Amino acid sequence: MPTFISVDPRSGVPVYRQVIDQVKRAVAVGVLGDGEQLPTVKALALQLTVNANTVARAYRDLERDGVIDTSPGRGSFVRSANGEQTRSLDAIARATFDAAVRDVRTLGVGRADATLFFHDALNRWYPEELA
Amino acid sequence: MSAIVLSGLTKRYGSFTAVDDVSLSVPEGSVCGLLGPNGAGKTTTFLCLLNFARATAGTITIAGKPVTPATFERLAYVPERATLYEWLRIGENLEIARRAYRSWDSKRAKELLDLFALDPKKKTRTLSKGQQTAVGLILAFARRPSFLVLDEPASGLDPLLQRAVLDLVIAAAANGATVLFSSHQIGQVERAADRVAIMRGGKLVLDGEIDALKASEKTVEAVVDGVELAAFVRDPRVRSVERVGTSFARFACRDDADGFAAVLTAAGARHVRVLDRTLEDLFVEAVGGAPSAEMAVVA
Repeated sequence: MPTFISVDPRSGVPVYRQVIDQVKRAVAVGVLGDGEQLPTVKALALQLTVNANTVARAYRDLERDGVIDTSPGRGSFVRSANGEQTRSLDAIARATFDAAVRDVRTLGVGRADATLFFHDALNRWYPEELA
Repeated sequence: MSAIVLSGLTKRYGSFTAVDDVSLSVPEGSVCGLLGPNGAGKTTTFLCLLNFARATAGTITIAGKPVTPATFERLAYVPERATLYEWLRIGENLEIARRAYRSWDSKRAKELLDLFALDPKKKTRTLSKGQQTAVGLILAFARRPSFLVLDEPASGLDPLLQRAVLDLVIAAAANGATVLFSSHQIGQVERAADRVAIMRGGKLVLDGEIDALKASEKTVEAVVDGVELAAFVRDPRVRSVERVGTSFARFACRDDADGFAAVLTAAGARHVRVLDRTLEDLFVEAVGGAPSAEMAVVA
């Protein structure tokens, strides 16, 4: 069973939300491939030591969002060609920038300096495409 | 469907009200963690629920019916201190339970003995408190009951066995059992339970789905000196504002905390942070004041 998920029940983020975000992330980066089977609700609940209703709720929302398909008796599988891969990657990237920029602004850094720091970071992590 | 329902449960001893108008329902297949400081009324609530103590007022139903001796065919109760036949061996204690309950699962009992590393030939009175707790849990879980009422089920167990008890609760509920357990450890409740009930001074002060309670509000903190706050205090997203000193403010936001934080930042507030509310935050707010040492969160 892949250990693609870890949750922190002490966090203020609802546990079902943590499961959803991590499954989406695993699908987006390809850790969970098209058609791959997920653990059963009970198995994942025991693996993470969290309540099974909470995991079941996450699976229901993932099915509603078109990320997985669940068929009774067979289990839950990553839906093929679900578009989640690109959609999720964009969403995860945007949310990461958003939080970082909010933190920078909160420090009292002006827009000009923020832009400068952003370009420094780009040059560090995308050295092959130096601006 | 609600499997365990208390409505208006009240228990008075003379002029002392131990349980005060408690209404609580636990849906079938749910695990409800009951938290509260010592003396909050948790154990008395259990005694009334099980009809071991006569409620002064209120009604209790399990699977839609009042509690009678027949209820205990499908319900297992584990008191805080295990009640065992101390002069018998562990295996003999289990044998008595096997003969008493049709639903007894001998294979499961054997698995649980192995899990807790207990030798069935051992005399019960030679066991440590934690081992006695473990035998009490085996007696309950090997019956595969539909309803489990557990009073401090992991007390006296080491951290690994505490985790094993959480696994037992999670697996029982995943198989359809309804569980109500009390605990001093928020960490156990936020793992095993999907619902929480918090008691203080005999009253139920908060109950609901843990994830929904966590998501219902966020805290936005900011340094706000020089910011005109009047408009923010009236913002419909804000439930309450707490001023700390002259420059710091903490807003309880019902929804769109990120949007509120952006507006606050644009108005010149500094060090704006959006914080999620943990179960411990909710607990502290519900019972008032800092948690006592024994309520410490255990990972």
